Amino acid sequence: MSLPARLRNPWGKPRFLVATTWLYMAWALLPVVVAMLFSFNQGHSRSVWQGFSIRWWWGDPSQSIFHDSLYTHALVHSLSLAALDMVIATPLGVLLALGLARWRGRGSGAANGLMLVPLVTPEIVMAVSLLLVFTQLSLVPFSLVHLGTVAQVVGQVTFSLSYVVVIVRGRLAGIGPEYEEAARDLGATPVAALRLVLLPLLAPAILASMLIVFALSIDDFVVTQYMSSNASTTTIPMFLYANARGGTTTPALNALASILVVTTLFGVGIAYAVYSVLGRRAAPSGVSALRELSGLEAAA
Amino acid sequence: MGGGQVGLTTRSAYWRGFAIPGVVWLCLFVVVPAYAVLAMALGKVNLLLEPVPAWSPGAWNPGWVSKAFSGALPGGEYWPAVRNTLVYVSVSLALCFAIGYPVAYYVARHAKRSKTLLIVLMVIPFWVSYLLRMLAWIGLLSSDGYVNKLLIDIGIAHPPDWLNGNAYSVILALVYGYIPYFILPVFAGIDRIDQSQIEAARDLGATPWQAFLRVTLPLSRPAILAGAALVVLPMFGDYYTNDLISASPRTNMLGNEINLFVQGGPEKNLGAALVLVLMAILAVLMLYYVYATARDARRLA
Amino acid sequence: MASGGVELRGLTKRFEDAVAVDGIDATIEPGEFFSLLGPSGCGKTTTLRMIAGFEQPTAGQIVLDGVDVAAVPPHERNVHTVFQSYALFPHLDVFGNIAFGLRRRRVGKDEVRRRVAEAIELVELGGLEHRRPRQLSGGQQQRVALARALVLRPAVLLLDEPLGALDAKIRKQLRLELKALQEEVGITFVFVTHDQEEALSMSDRIAVMNGGRIEQIGTPEAVYEQPATVFVADFLGVSNLMDAEAFGDGVVRIGEFRLRAGCGEVAAHGAVKVVARPERLALLPHGAPRENCVPGMVERTVYVGANLQVITRLATGETVQASIANTGESTTYASGTPVAVHVPVDALRVLAPSTGGAATPPGEVTAEPERAPAVAS
Repeated sequence: MSLPARLRNPWGKPRFLVATTWLYMAWALLPVVVAMLFSFNQGHSRSVWQGFSIRWWWGDPSQSIFHDSLYTHALVHSLSLAALDMVIATPLGVLLALGLARWRGRGSGAANGLMLVPLVTPEIVMAVSLLLVFTQLSLVPFSLVHLGTVAQVVGQVTFSLSYVVVIVRGRLAGIGPEYEEAARDLGATPVAALRLVLLPLLAPAILASMLIVFALSIDDFVVTQYMSSNASTTTIPMFLYANARGGTTTPALNALASILVVTTLFGVGIAYAVYSVLGRRAAPSGVSALRELSGLEAAA
Repeated sequence: MGGGQVGLTTRSAYWRGFAIPGVVWLCLFVVVPAYAVLAMALGKVNLLLEPVPAWSPGAWNPGWVSKAFSGALPGGEYWPAVRNTLVYVSVSLALCFAIGYPVAYYVARHAKRSKTLLIVLMVIPFWVSYLLRMLAWIGLLSSDGYVNKLLIDIGIAHPPDWLNGNAYSVILALVYGYIPYFILPVFAGIDRIDQSQIEAARDLGATPWQAFLRVTLPLSRPAILAGAALVVLPMFGDYYTNDLISASPRTNMLGNEINLFVQGGPEKNLGAALVLVLMAILAVLMLYYVYATARDARRLA
Repeated sequence: MASGGVELRGLTKRFEDAVAVDGIDATIEPGEFFSLLGPSGCGKTTTLRMIAGFEQPTAGQIVLDGVDVAAVPPHERNVHTVFQSYALFPHLDVFGNIAFGLRRRRVGKDEVRRRVAEAIELVELGGLEHRRPRQLSGGQQQRVALARALVLRPAVLLLDEPLGALDAKIRKQLRLELKALQEEVGITFVFVTHDQEEALSMSDRIAVMNGGRIEQIGTPEAVYEQPATVFVADFLGVSNLMDAEAFGDGVVRIGEFRLRAGCGEVAAHGAVKVVARPERLALLPHGAPRENCVPGMVERTVYVGANLQVITRLATGETVQASIANTGESTTYASGTPVAVHVPVDALRVLAPSTGGAATPPGEVTAEPERAPAVAS
């Protein structure tokens, strides 16, 4: 008499779990794939398939995303904000990470907590608070910032900072103080040790966090919307939000969203590759690299 | 005395300098704005009917705050929004757990050859823009979309209107939108559990189900809490999901109310006060989270 | 003035919760191979780090060739370190690592190349200039770490347990090489280790440390044959520590047996401890009439290849370990054999009881007592 399957292999995979997992993956990803496919729809509908066409991408002379100025403008503005966010938040965040990791005096705990605040507050709270200071507070430097691109950059940098700090600090912990000590032992000043030894070792993490900031910025909605002033400061997510339920919009919207997806995934993919391949010397394993990149360790 | 330069541990002041630019930025753009919210909530409306914040504590006017807090209580004006929020978040969290935990568990413990692929697949939705994912569902749930087509094919002649004030749609969208934030930390936590502890349990006579209940599940509690925190915190401030999927005041969440008042115009004080209500609810939840984490740490140490 | 002399005067390091180094005084001669030996937590690494400049002393002076350098930052001291984990820069190749310090000093490119080549030859790493650290074996990495420090011609070279991460066989080989290297180069080496065999085999002098203090400084022979305290006796090898009563003039009574002790505190009176190294004990047939004999019975014999460790229980109740060289004779010391344990007069040493130091249970072949670390070493 043969044993039931369950008893034959005590570590065998329960079929229920397998099914659930793959079903979940399908449920999580198929709608997105469908939405992206609809950007190639022949007709105007975003819910009924009418044939294949690239008109919304390039073919249609007035309504394709690269010809309709509203769409191109949103695309350009999104990319500009992302670039600015990346360029400001990364150096600021790296400095902050270095400082927080090694500063042991009074106040370091509070500074640390302060850095975590953007990670645990709902975006709307941050957005409302920034809106209020930029519109109501007539003190410098707040009075110098009006709603619009500058405000959007400021808002995005503020929450991006924490992600940079988390990523870089994690990496710093993996590197340890030894290499700098060795450098100083051999005659390098503290600054030279930082420049010649620590920064090269941190480079993968810095690069990865740049790309993460880029991805976060491109996808951001709440803060960016609150900080915007008029139609000229519309980003792709804002554009999607404004038009998602409209009856008159076309699959060009799906095309625009697809660009968002591809750019973000590309950026994150490179960040992961950079982090785990280039940082192989003292690098965490692939799984923990993913975890770190998801910036989850901080809030957890 | 060369106190400043010698020894890595005594040069704290040197490293503090590195942190200063970032800390200044955070003070300017996190701390001051937080105070601005407080000041506006405790502010008043001036003669031009413009909302004005009360910067100095002497000018604080508790009227709006008390209006907001009393309105948030059962029976109050904003209670429906608060109630909706509490209900949607709880149901969504439960669904995230029901769907997400088995998936995280399977990928962490059982998937061998396909593990890397599954991890990548798990991470992708995390990075796909939230708005695109909502857009996808708007397409699917619209009256001529695939969901209704499927329902009609099965035989349901008049499928419901999914995109108009439908709470089920909102919950579905919230779950869909936030579940990756739950799955990833839970996966990470389960993955970290030492296989030998489970083997020890099996060795001592536990069935697979018992080993799961008594070893894996308790050990994954911190991760579950972390995942729950990562889902609940942003969900409480969510307003755009409702706007996109439902667009009806019937399913308004607290975030929607805040959004309406702040963006609207002359009721910014109320909006700010409702932000305080939101933060108060979150503070209570955070306290529970800290308590539960500390208790877990003691138990598992 | 000969260069490379280090003087530690009243050197103290206090951390928030404990004292790591408690007022040590030592003079390290130029050109000597000086070891800091002790269990983990005794303060030897902290002392080394203070000499290097990574910890600042709470009190005391570090005098290098007549100059107090306690306030001088590490990058300005003419002292270089070989770290326990080598700390080779992963993003530079072997050449880059070794040239690092030279480049910080703005040495010209040609001279850099020349001196690096010299250093590479010195440590026998020819041909590996362009490898990355992760492509090297442990022993090779250690040589790079050495070359990197030596190329700068320091007055003193500090080594923090450099052989700890290596396999036993390579370790033994590198001990000889390191010692030869030090003699060739003539630089003062300050070597930190917890392995007494290492310290004994390589050092000109050893400072045995315990709980932040130096218990004894002396040559390997002095420290091993004439331990000044119970701790030193016990830390270096098996000590066969026993309680005894002294009557002055080297006469001691262990149990009911009177013996004569020829070294240590021979003039002491009262309760003392005595030690005798296992290799000095002789096992004679029971009843043999000799001075300084104590009858006993063999408990067990441990065969370790080069010799036999015979654990004998004396009639006094104490257990001692005798080390009998393996001469190929088939004399067996079977369990239960009655013997007379003979301690030569000049091998029996009297120690006044001191704080710290517990008896090593005989039967431990390489006796190294485990001390609970009071502070981080």
